[in-house]
Amino acid sequence: MNKILAIAKKELKTYFKSPVAYIVLIITISVFNIFFFLIINENREATLRDVFKVMEFLFVFIVPLLTMKIFAEEKFSGTMEFLMTTPTTNTAIVLGKYLGSLIFFTLIIAMTSSYYFIIEFFGQPDRLAVVTGYLGIWLEGALFIAIGILTSSWTGNQIIAAISSYVILFLLYFSISFVKYSSGITETLIRYIGTWTHAENFSLGLIATSDMVYYLSGIFICIILTRLSIENRLWR
Amino acid sequence: MIIARSITKYFGGFKALKDISFEINKGEIVGFLGLNGAGKTTLMRILTSYLPATSGTVIIGGKDVARDSLAIRKKIGYLPETPPLYSNMTIRDYLKFAAQLKDVPLKRLCVQVDRVLEECNLRDSQHKTISTLSRGYKQRVGIAQAIINEPEVLILDEPTSGLDPVQILQVRNLIKNLEYKRTVILSTHILSEIQQIAQRVLIIKSGEIVADDSLKNLLKDTELNLEDVFLRFHAKN
Repeated sequence: MNKILAIAKKELKTYFKSPVAYIVLIITISVFNIFFFLIINENREATLRDVFKVMEFLFVFIVPLLTMKIFAEEKFSGTMEFLMTTPTTNTAIVLGKYLGSLIFFTLIIAMTSSYYFIIEFFGQPDRLAVVTGYLGIWLEGALFIAIGILTSSWTGNQIIAAISSYVILFLLYFSISFVKYSSGITETLIRYIGTWTHAENFSLGLIATSDMVYYLSGIFICIILTRLSIENRLWR
Repeated sequence: MIIARSITKYFGGFKALKDISFEINKGEIVGFLGLNGAGKTTLMRILTSYLPATSGTVIIGGKDVARDSLAIRKKIGYLPETPPLYSNMTIRDYLKFAAQLKDVPLKRLCVQVDRVLEECNLRDSQHKTISTLSRGYKQRVGIAQAIINEPEVLILDEPTSGLDPVQILQVRNLIKNLEYKRTVILSTHILSEIQQIAQRVLIIKSGEIVADDSLKNLLKDTELNLEDVFLRFHAKN
């Protein structure tokens, strides 16, 4: 556990020592703020449902920028050899890196908590729906990060890692568009694989077991695959 | 201390190491000597468990590298050819991070970091960011991380490559000061380095050991220097 925390701490420090992280943070929050005020002004409702939708959409573009360097940079700079020759398990390495990114992502989400206080001040929001909505986008971001870390472990090139992430996230996020061209099991499958329907439930105040299973199993599978990916030198 | 038996390593269809066997006793300082691409780095990576051998076994301190990889990694300090450094960290932060990953108890963490900073002559620069350091300093930080957990075996891959003469001397002296405490394996293609540091030489050519003897024996009964001996072995095989 100490090693997981040490790696997470190092990852977090790396974010804050890089100007990219600050730029991403400032741009993200600025864009969120603009959309928040536009949506509230337009809808005149004390709900964050549409704000969550915008956040979810923007995370598809932001998360690969945060995760592309996680393993790709280690591979490129040769520090991967250092990590892998210390008495640290591959699981601890992956979990440490995942935790570091997740904390940074949580910070971004936390910075939007003022939205709740604003709508609480001007109206009577459904508090439960706000809490579950936040849980939903946090879980979605956690899944996106797990996917980003997986693609970063495939290559020593950060650009390739980011593009691979975008491909997977676009497929997951926009898969809902293919529903109208499908029916039966295919439609059910597309609906289940796509992130859209799962996040939607959370923003409505619903915590369904199937949605939790979707996110948690997705994260778990990505972490396992990342572990296997960083071990692949052992099979060659 | 280290027993390697019939180590063979393939990369696809390329045979990088061919049936290599040797034994290294505790406290020995052994030099792997060979041209670039001879297989020195691959052999070192197998010893550190970073790469698995295609066939053959490596036993370190009675434990199989392939089966007890984690236990082996606790015994080993490794400096790859390019020092594995995080450029945005300070020297001290990096060494603390390395110590945590290498199971240095939390209570002893600062003591160990101070010790290696002293040993590698880095105390005055400990708060400098690694990206601002010269190549020689980076190499010393690389060595410092390798010895932070007081390993029984120290494996150094081309520890002086790319350094200027003054830096080479500094790193060489540093290695010499470390050697009395532990088994040291270093690879190089610089003959004078082996002559000054190692007691025993393994000459590796195209993935095979073509000579394995003490420096004394290799240079015995001959007017030749190590360079001539090395070239002779290369020409012979």
